[in-house]
Amino acid sequence: MITEQHILSAFDRDLESVQAMIMKMGGLVEAALSDAAAALETQDEALAEQVRKGDAAIDALEESVNAECARLIALRGPIAGDLRTVLTVMKIATALERSGDYAKNLAKRALVLGQLAPIPGAAGAIRRLARQVGLLLKDALDAFIARDAGLAEDVRQRDLEVDQMYNALFREFLTFMMEDPRNITACMHLHFIAKNIERVGDHATTIAEQVIYLTTGTLPGGDRPKADLTVEGQ
Amino acid sequence: MKDLVMETRVDTQTIKIKAEKAQVFYGTNHAIKDVDVEIMDKTVTAFIGPSGCGKSTFLRCLNRMNDTIPSCRVEGSITLDGDDIYDARVDPVQLRAKVGMVFQKPNPFPKSIYDNVAYGPKIHGLTRTKAELDEVVESCLRKAALWNEVKDRLHSPGTGLSGGQQQRLCIARAIATSPEVLLMDEPCSALDPIATAQVEELIDELRSQFSVVIVTHSMQQAARVSQRTAFFHLGNLVEFGETGQIFTNPKDPRTESYITGRIG
Repeated sequence: MITEQHILSAFDRDLESVQAMIMKMGGLVEAALSDAAAALETQDEALAEQVRKGDAAIDALEESVNAECARLIALRGPIAGDLRTVLTVMKIATALERSGDYAKNLAKRALVLGQLAPIPGAAGAIRRLARQVGLLLKDALDAFIARDAGLAEDVRQRDLEVDQMYNALFREFLTFMMEDPRNITACMHLHFIAKNIERVGDHATTIAEQVIYLTTGTLPGGDRPKADLTVEGQ
Repeated sequence: MKDLVMETRVDTQTIKIKAEKAQVFYGTNHAIKDVDVEIMDKTVTAFIGPSGCGKSTFLRCLNRMNDTIPSCRVEGSITLDGDDIYDARVDPVQLRAKVGMVFQKPNPFPKSIYDNVAYGPKIHGLTRTKAELDEVVESCLRKAALWNEVKDRLHSPGTGLSGGQQQRLCIARAIATSPEVLLMDEPCSALDPIATAQVEELIDELRSQFSVVIVTHSMQQAARVSQRTAFFHLGNLVEFGETGQIFTNPKDPRTESYITGRIG
């Protein structure tokens, strides 16, 4: 990766500013995910409400990133690594915005679940899943800033563990529902939460793949390992 | 989808000019070092690189323009359709009729528009009658997208035209000898954006008939008009590839530094 400065220093400032926005977005999304999961576990309504309201800031940042990238393309005519940086930044912003929406949805469902009979062990398991996914997101963004294709590839591979955790939760919720139909409402909400967090993991993988594109010029080929077995009707 | 990206693709695999281990010396100064390059037929090839990197020197080797510089020595092999252009039996004047050139500053002869274009065909004896010559002049001016602007004043001086028109007149003059290759050394650097766009459009049209090699300082121009791009640095050919690849994913860090406007 090229680390030298542009002769036109304003170009560097523009590129740095969009990347700073991405890191800020990433920080907000990581916090939203972990706060939402904590709100679910501790039944903290105020925290859940705060996550719901906080999503607007993430959406606003995505808009700023898109506007800034459009301006950069129009005024600076980025090519080669600079072009890949701008394209990558736009895709990462989209992935983060979607992840933020999932965190917001988790917070909403946490509020609903507060009114229902608790499912033993579920909130703790969800929180562990959220923590795992939060780490993937953090590592994907660290790989972006460090232009570290190795770390990005590691994130891609580790999404497998998230899939496995989700599968285990899926089976667990199914068992609770079969045991007692009064658990169905809560378990449906918990299942959507687990599925959404698993989707955030996929977005982290998307970010990691973008980092590989950014550093090498090509998207990683071949299928990454997948272990979402719930669609195979076992 | 394939059709949409056709324009950026190289249409033919026929090699028009091939250089192997080409070296150029100005006295003791080794200006071009071991350049291997294959210029395809019916393709626009752009040469880019910082000032003094040797791209113009190399361009001038392709029609032996460097012969006029006494201290200049060319080694290695440069062939046109497989024939060595530096062979003792090759007449440089005949070679330059086949490999035409357009320069940075428009340089029409101090003659009429008509005579500027007619000069080449006349001295090379390409036409037999006045009617035939008229036809060649009209068709070249049309190809150079200049006909409609000058058809009513063919006998007024070429130097009276605007800069952009003069450059298109020089292109018309260069193509009047039916060249097979057209060399252009920064053909748009003295032109405004409209005239530049007209010349670029013209280059793209000429590609269906000739092989075009263009030296340019504008990255965007190289990206816009060429299908293949060669990056020269300190007399070396650093990277040569499909233009889209050079501008999205250059392989050599020196290429990336240069095209993205970094110190390198």
